[in-house]
Amino acid sequence: MSQKNRLGTGGRIDRTTPLKFQYNGKTYTGFQGDTLASAILANGIDVVGRSFKYSRPRGVVAAGAEEPNAVLQLGATEETQVPNVRATQQELFDGLTSQAVNGWPNVDNDMMSWVGKLGGKMMPPGFYYKTFMYPKSLWDTYESMIRKAAGLGRSPLENDPDTYDKVNQHCDVLVVGAGPAGLAAALTAARSGARVILADEQSEFGGSLLSSKELLDGKPATSWVKSAVDELAGCADVLLLPRATVNGYHDHNFLTIHERLTDHLADKAPVGMVRQRLHRVRAKWVVLATGAHERPLVFSNNDVPGCMIASAVSTYINRYGVVPGSELVLMTTNDYGYQAALDWHDAQRKVVAIVDTRQNPQGARVEQARKRGLNVITGSAVIEVQGSKRVSGVSVATIDAAGNKVTGAVNRLNADTVASSGGWSPVIHLSSHTGSRPVWDDKVVGFVPGPTVQKQLTAGGINGKYSINEALSEGVLAGLNALAKLDLPATEVVLPSAADMVEEASMTLFQIPHLLPTSKAPKQFVDYQTDVTAAGIEVACREGFESIEHVKRYTAMGFGTDQGKLGNINGMAVAAKALNKTIPETGTTIFRPNYTPVTFGAMVGRDCGELFDPKRYTAMHKWHVEHGAKFEDVGQWKRGWYYPKPGESMQECLDRECKATRDSVGILDASTLGKIDIQGADAREFLGRIYTNAWAKLAVGKCRYGLMCGEDGMVFDDGVTSCLGDNHFLMTTTTGGAPRVLEWLELWHQTEWPELDVYFNTVTDHWSTLTISGPNSRKLLSELTDFDLSNENFSFMDVHQCTVAGVPARVFRISFTGELSYEINVQANYGMHVWEKLFEHGKQFNLTPYGTETMHVLRAEKGFIIAGQDTDGSVHPHDLGMSWCVSDQKPFSYVGKRGMARQDCMRENRKQLVGLKTKEPKVVIPEGSQAVFDPNEPIPMTMVGHITSSYYSANLGHSIAMGVIKGGLSRMGETVYYPQADGRVIEAEICSLVFLDPKGERQNV
Amino acid sequence: MSDLESNVEVVAKAAVMNQLPADGSGVRAESPLFHAELEVLAKQGPQQGGVHLRENKLQGHLTLRCNQNNPDQLAAVETVLGLALPIQPLTAVVKGDISIRWMSPDEWLIVVPGEQTFDIESCFRDVMTGHYSLVNGSGGQTIIELWGPDVVSLLKKCTPIDFHPTQFPVGKVVSSIFAKSGAVISRTGEDRFELVIRRSFADYLWLWLQDASREYGLVIEV
Repeated sequence: MSQKNRLGTGGRIDRTTPLKFQYNGKTYTGFQGDTLASAILANGIDVVGRSFKYSRPRGVVAAGAEEPNAVLQLGATEETQVPNVRATQQELFDGLTSQAVNGWPNVDNDMMSWVGKLGGKMMPPGFYYKTFMYPKSLWDTYESMIRKAAGLGRSPLENDPDTYDKVNQHCDVLVVGAGPAGLAAALTAARSGARVILADEQSEFGGSLLSSKELLDGKPATSWVKSAVDELAGCADVLLLPRATVNGYHDHNFLTIHERLTDHLADKAPVGMVRQRLHRVRAKWVVLATGAHERPLVFSNNDVPGCMIASAVSTYINRYGVVPGSELVLMTTNDYGYQAALDWHDAQRKVVAIVDTRQNPQGARVEQARKRGLNVITGSAVIEVQGSKRVSGVSVATIDAAGNKVTGAVNRLNADTVASSGGWSPVIHLSSHTGSRPVWDDKVVGFVPGPTVQKQLTAGGINGKYSINEALSEGVLAGLNALAKLDLPATEVVLPSAADMVEEASMTLFQIPHLLPTSKAPKQFVDYQTDVTAAGIEVACREGFESIEHVKRYTAMGFGTDQGKLGNINGMAVAAKALNKTIPETGTTIFRPNYTPVTFGAMVGRDCGELFDPKRYTAMHKWHVEHGAKFEDVGQWKRGWYYPKPGESMQECLDRECKATRDSVGILDASTLGKIDIQGADAREFLGRIYTNAWAKLAVGKCRYGLMCGEDGMVFDDGVTSCLGDNHFLMTTTTGGAPRVLEWLELWHQTEWPELDVYFNTVTDHWSTLTISGPNSRKLLSELTDFDLSNENFSFMDVHQCTVAGVPARVFRISFTGELSYEINVQANYGMHVWEKLFEHGKQFNLTPYGTETMHVLRAEKGFIIAGQDTDGSVHPHDLGMSWCVSDQKPFSYVGKRGMARQDCMRENRKQLVGLKTKEPKVVIPEGSQAVFDPNEPIPMTMVGHITSSYYSANLGHSIAMGVIKGGLSRMGETVYYPQADGRVIEAEICSLVFLDPKGERQNV
Repeated sequence: MSDLESNVEVVAKAAVMNQLPADGSGVRAESPLFHAELEVLAKQGPQQGGVHLRENKLQGHLTLRCNQNNPDQLAAVETVLGLALPIQPLTAVVKGDISIRWMSPDEWLIVVPGEQTFDIESCFRDVMTGHYSLVNGSGGQTIIELWGPDVVSLLKKCTPIDFHPTQFPVGKVVSSIFAKSGAVISRTGEDRFELVIRRSFADYLWLWLQDASREYGLVIEV
């Protein structure tokens, strides 16, 4: 039974290149040029899935993006699993492995199908809302069952081996869709030298022309397609993107295109190739030539495999050489639908009947059918289909002229295929992404794009212009319009033409009447993928859902991965009828990006793994790595955290680093601190306004600590700023705060004080900062410089220029540890050299590298704050006990002065930063612990503060903590309690923040 | 070196220092991409490919901020560099081994041979008048030269800038996002570009460029 539905000749497939593929574990053969769907149909496979809610067998319905049923799981291995692939859009390749996603345990023998048989009463619309919402605690259980039964595909459990990326594009005109209208638009624009991108979701350009039998200038339409594509390919500024779906139309004419570069080649992308690419396009103008989707009719059991849309039948025959059945019944409301029966007949298969809902059709195609001797039954409809896993027959009856009721006797006809055509729905998705509301057009019997809100033009099927001649001329017109808007001269484009065919008006009909009322008749499906029936929509309307948006949410119509491409208009028509309104009165249907599902791979691009986020390194990073540093993320910086020796625990390592620094000398890579060079005659004045303390008298060569507050008076950054010259300062900021502080300075300068002569420049990356700290730091430094380091010549808070290890340096005698410290700044290209020299000479002093953790402990021993750790945006300088760092004597105000003077900032009992010493010296209070005064108070307890920093201090032999306590500064010596989640209560005494060397003698030696 | 070892107090308005080690000091300079070992890759890596990359390292990077409406300052720049400040936004000028990139209406990046940095900086301090700032950022950034038939395709993966010759002719310069970092991008030839990137981001961008150029083939040159 090999390819029983394949024709011997015809179609755009290569019969000399057979391809093996797997579907549900069985191996089949198709041909190069097939889609997975055409190959499935060629092999006579009827069932491609089970429906979402009722578990009914479903077959291929369509031939393109609108396919609701043939949504398969692909992948030969675990790592290459891809869910949600429409078989109609997946090109066949040798070795393709596919699986139906719903059907438990399998599609042919589905344990859930009893639900479907028991039918509507078991699962009315709103079933999930009504049934599974209570008790709420069981939802997780329900959900996993529903998911398993519904079968929504699955993601791979292993990492995707393929590469996906993104690329930015710019063009004058982006043409979406390469059917007749799109090709004509692109040609028109390209000939005038415009930069054009032409994108189409299919493997080859041509759109409807690829499956059309109509002639252009007497020649097959595809020969014109070829010449048009060849010409476009020869234009320098034209980018042709086949296999590329324009999925989203965003603000400012920004569109996203999902291009599949290798999905048609193999399970995994060939070596060196990118699998999928997301194009981010900024287009000056967009021409939407997206065409239209045929609408199926809604009739009883219209979901039995074998029921298809009429144009898909033609496409499978003409493009793929596949006749998806033996005996066809066609039901149509229009002339164009006849084409399916004509093609079927020409393929030498039996057309049982053409059932036309119109009373007296006489159009050109109708006459062609009659001439071929086909059985045309008018004024009638297929009211019901028989069969379960495949159509076995149909019931045909006469209906009234309005299509509201059955008027005559029912005839049974045998058939295995029912094609239906209810007319066409323009593909307005992209247009509605922009926020443009579609407009109902009675003549088109569909929604067309409404007034555009972007630089958007439309052509062809999207406007309800379906004939080839109309599509071609609309395409040229759109191209010319775009050129005019772009102010580019137009070049003439001569179009081929097709023979005009007399086409009569179609009948406006969506739902076929049944003998029984809709609620009692066998199911009439509106949305296949979410199993929404006409009866379900009626129920929703009866239950009071009048807006189509509510009906959709209640029934789930349009909520599948196909976004209801086939069903939405039919559903609106059913709702309109139930509500006794017109379709436009019921509402409009709009769509959101994306048009078809986009893989996570394409969305992520290369921003994953090592490239997920930039990692910033200092010039000495390699040394840290080689010396076993553990790293801490500070913003995007990788900072050395601690440097454990083999077998050393983190605490042991910290103890060693802390002690070595206080006993001899330690070294910290402080290069990540933000550094801002400030120059200008008003630099000093500016500093006075931006910092809380005074800067007027800072002498050249001197450094000063400063606090920076927001307008609210709350501390947001701190650091040391040095005066390098009368008009020249160097500000340091916290590592994470550097960009924010620079922006803050620019903001105040540019918006508030532009009259101040001052410029700011970041020099963070320019300087490597090597901080040596500890009693032996002077001795160490003196080994590498001739400069007089005596306390008299180089005092605390001085900055001097000198040469260190042969490299010119700026050395700052400032200290974050309370020890004698030198911050050596050299141009970063020489940072590693100086660092290594320090170690060469540091051996004798047991020079010990330390990271951020030891830095935190050492500064906490001195009670120095870390902005962002001990402050949280609700703490002002006085709360920190840092009133010494606030000067209200400055002639001009400063940022935060007014904020600090607010009533709430002045009140008693604010949370204030204090030191905390545990009663048990070895117990370290967890950071974040809440403080209470009365440990016996019943829950909820009155919380009076929390711990901001907490460590074990090896130098002091006990734990130390910093934290805020209500009124803490006036509670010295009092006891507070920190109840823990495990029931322990840690007792601590409020004390000074300065645990070590309260007089600050160590740093002044 | 004794003149160097002075307290900054002797410098009146702004502290200018020669930041380079003395000639013959044997001090090793490590550019931001030092650890990528580009010299080794240039020898051992592919010799053919669609994208070529070279680090133009250890140049002098001076950021000048001044007033483009001040004719004295414009004249001073020309005196010092023999090259006029590009006032036209988004343009760069090159003369010999000196280039100036327009960065913003009051900011320019002047790139000079590394060893001339201090002299040029000092010369500016002598000649420039009025309110301005000049900052040596040589250690904080490096220049990456990219060229080859696929260089534009590569750049399109990295930044949203339009590189069509009508939009981005030779001589244009922009500062923009580059991958998840940033770069100053200038076009120096039809298929030739320069990126000025920050030191701390250099490794990330080096990884990114290797990855993005994989499909074209990357040739390292020195």
